[in-house]
Amino acid sequence: MASILKKRTFGREASLGIILIFCIASTGFINPRFVTGDGTRDLLSATAIVALLAIGMAPVMIMRHIDLSIASTVGFSAWLVADFCAKNPSFTWWQCFVIGGAVGIAVGVINGLLVAGLRLPSLVVTLGTLYIVRGGVYVVSNSVDYNAQEMPPSLLSLGQKTFAGLLPFPFLMVIILMVIVGWYMKYTKPGRDCYAIGSNPPAADLVGLKVFRRTFLAYIFCGFIAGVAGVFYLMRFAQVDSTAFYGQELAVVAAAVIGGIGLLGGAGTAVGVVIGALLVQTIQGALAALGVDAFWKAAINGFLLIVAIYADRVLARRTEKALLAQRIKERV
Amino acid sequence: MANKGDLLLEMKDVKKRFGGAIALRGTNLSVRAGEIHALLGENGAGKSTMLKILAGVHEHDAGTITFGGAPFISGSPQASIDQGIAVIYQEPSLFLDLSLAENVFVGRQPKKGLAIDWKEAEAQARKLFNELGVELDPKRQARGLSIADQQVVEIAKALSMNASIILMDEPTAALSASEVERLMTVMRNLRAANKAVIFVSHRLDEVFAISDFITVMRDGATVSEKAISNTDLQTVIKEMVGRELTELFPKTDHPIGDVVLEVNDLTNPAYFRNVSFTVRKGEIVALAGLVGSGRSEIARSIFGVDSYETGSVKINNKPLKKNSPITAIAEKIALVPEDRRQQGLFMVAGVNRNISMESFDRLKGRIFLNFKKERALTNQWRENLSIKYADQSDPVDRLSGGNQQKTVLAKWLATDPDLLIVDEPTRGIDVGTKAEVHKLIDKAAGEGKAILMISSELPEVLGMADRIIVMREGRQVTELSRKEATQENVIAAATTGKKGI
Repeated sequence: MASILKKRTFGREASLGIILIFCIASTGFINPRFVTGDGTRDLLSATAIVALLAIGMAPVMIMRHIDLSIASTVGFSAWLVADFCAKNPSFTWWQCFVIGGAVGIAVGVINGLLVAGLRLPSLVVTLGTLYIVRGGVYVVSNSVDYNAQEMPPSLLSLGQKTFAGLLPFPFLMVIILMVIVGWYMKYTKPGRDCYAIGSNPPAADLVGLKVFRRTFLAYIFCGFIAGVAGVFYLMRFAQVDSTAFYGQELAVVAAAVIGGIGLLGGAGTAVGVVIGALLVQTIQGALAALGVDAFWKAAINGFLLIVAIYADRVLARRTEKALLAQRIKERV
Repeated sequence: MANKGDLLLEMKDVKKRFGGAIALRGTNLSVRAGEIHALLGENGAGKSTMLKILAGVHEHDAGTITFGGAPFISGSPQASIDQGIAVIYQEPSLFLDLSLAENVFVGRQPKKGLAIDWKEAEAQARKLFNELGVELDPKRQARGLSIADQQVVEIAKALSMNASIILMDEPTAALSASEVERLMTVMRNLRAANKAVIFVSHRLDEVFAISDFITVMRDGATVSEKAISNTDLQTVIKEMVGRELTELFPKTDHPIGDVVLEVNDLTNPAYFRNVSFTVRKGEIVALAGLVGSGRSEIARSIFGVDSYETGSVKINNKPLKKNSPITAIAEKIALVPEDRRQQGLFMVAGVNRNISMESFDRLKGRIFLNFKKERALTNQWRENLSIKYADQSDPVDRLSGGNQQKTVLAKWLATDPDLLIVDEPTRGIDVGTKAEVHKLIDKAAGEGKAILMISSELPEVLGMADRIIVMREGRQVTELSRKEATQENVIAAATTGKKGI
């Protein structure tokens, strides 16, 4: 039984990593381009935004909440940043991040107040803000699109930078954020509080944890990351319209869940989430490399999500059974 | 650090009400350092409210509480923790996803520089576990610990907070004999370290084995505060029960007929073992015993919502399929569950829809529900049980507890069952309605239904039942006829497992 418990807590990242390597290897076998430097750079660039958002959402989901508004926030931030840049040609890359981050924080504050302050169910609240923020983009944009020529060259060139020949700038940021968030969640009191709150909310109140503050700040952080991700969106696509990143929130949730963050909170790591995002993207890339059409790509994505949840459930049930058996033995 | 015998906690004339219900009407409690103090009383006497006030979950309305020589700061769990009060709830409130070390130090993790020092936390937790004399791996996840081990983790948490007083709400309720023994050793160690331990228990044999002082509560007031040497089992039981059977129980004698329910050697090892009994037509049989003694689980197994491992159930001399409520209902069994809000009713649905729920087949026209018939049925049961509501379609949420309970009863009585199982039929309803519910149960028996009643209220058991089966820790202790049963011998059997007193 001890082995089951161990597997459940420590094995998640390792087994995901093995599946990831297996997927990359087998795709590379069929389509060798997939494992070249170009292929790797493509994979990492394509994963960066979802991975970034999934790390941002990790603390929220660990606390047994969710934030569905992120994709709308990405769209809103991307459009507003592009708009600022178009009106102020002197803008450079860091100003983009300031504006994007501020937009994200604003949405995060609203979500945080509603979920942590009024204790409304996060699923409904953020579904609401999903529509409100997207509606905001439609209204503000007034069907205006922006293209590369309106954006600061410093920003676009930053997006093209690679490190060590393999690591695109956006994914470097993912790795840095992953290390910081991973460390913070494991080694600081506020980080641990998140796990405790998600694991057993009533008990968190009883031991006097600051539930409001943690939840509120987690939403602000999640919103901030979504705002920043909007700038990464501009870097990658160099164009934006009011439907930017539409409907992608569920891809983020899927990456997080596949990466080991249970919807019931209390578990999961930043590393797992990034591997989850890579895995989703690898499989997408692999299917594209194999020439599978778009419908099947979406369907297989959904299938993967269900398999991940099912695997979790099976493990949980096996643990439960082992425990009951043990308790019965103790009682005799 | 307090010295042995120093007055640590004093509660004087503490009062608390929840809306209209008075939970505490003036209770006193004084506890000294280095003392194990038992807090006793029947269900609803106010013990849990007392503990929750000290835990900072509730705030008292009136009275004074002094703790460690200073006024007690009330109303916040954090404040109680800071003052040195640790509470171990009946259901341990651990974080199951986290390691044991982390559970011990949650919110107070030792740090090295900016980061939490996990090595140090684990070493300290291991030291605490060693002091408590149990072998637990601090790195292990809390999920899967037995209740007993979870309590040990909670106690370690209390020690790590340097609590001077540790409150335990029915700590032994879910423990096996050897685990109780271990817990008692831990409690004695705490006493030796000059901590005060307040514990609530219904197991009087344990209370007398370990405590130094006993406070008995009844109906929200303190009845007696005595050192263990100045009291004995009989006195304590008398003080707990207090009242004579003054409420009127309208039990009448009915002819008793054939066996309706026959339970044979029923076992579900996690909850109950080797349970055998019968219930006859026109007979009321009570399952008495403490909460957690396996009574509700037996009822649920008979009805098929839960399963059992070995044994058999026969209804009207026919074997009953196990784990199938649908079959049970078809065989005319009805179960009025313990928790009417969660299990007995659809709270947002109307009274009519709740009452007609199980009688749909009789009420439907060709395909759809016939509203006229439903209305007639609802009116009929409204009259029979005098249920009070403004409109038939009012959600049951709006009814009082007593009327809700009558609605559940109506739903099942409308199916004209052969066997009616009622689990805590009068929990949380007022005295007047209680008597009405009792009358209904008696009337149902008079109509030849077999009745199995589970109740934690002794007067109800003694007043209503033809026969009483006393359960303790999942086993049948004894069976008493209406004539043999007294408050004392039922309590003694339920709390000590001894048949006579």
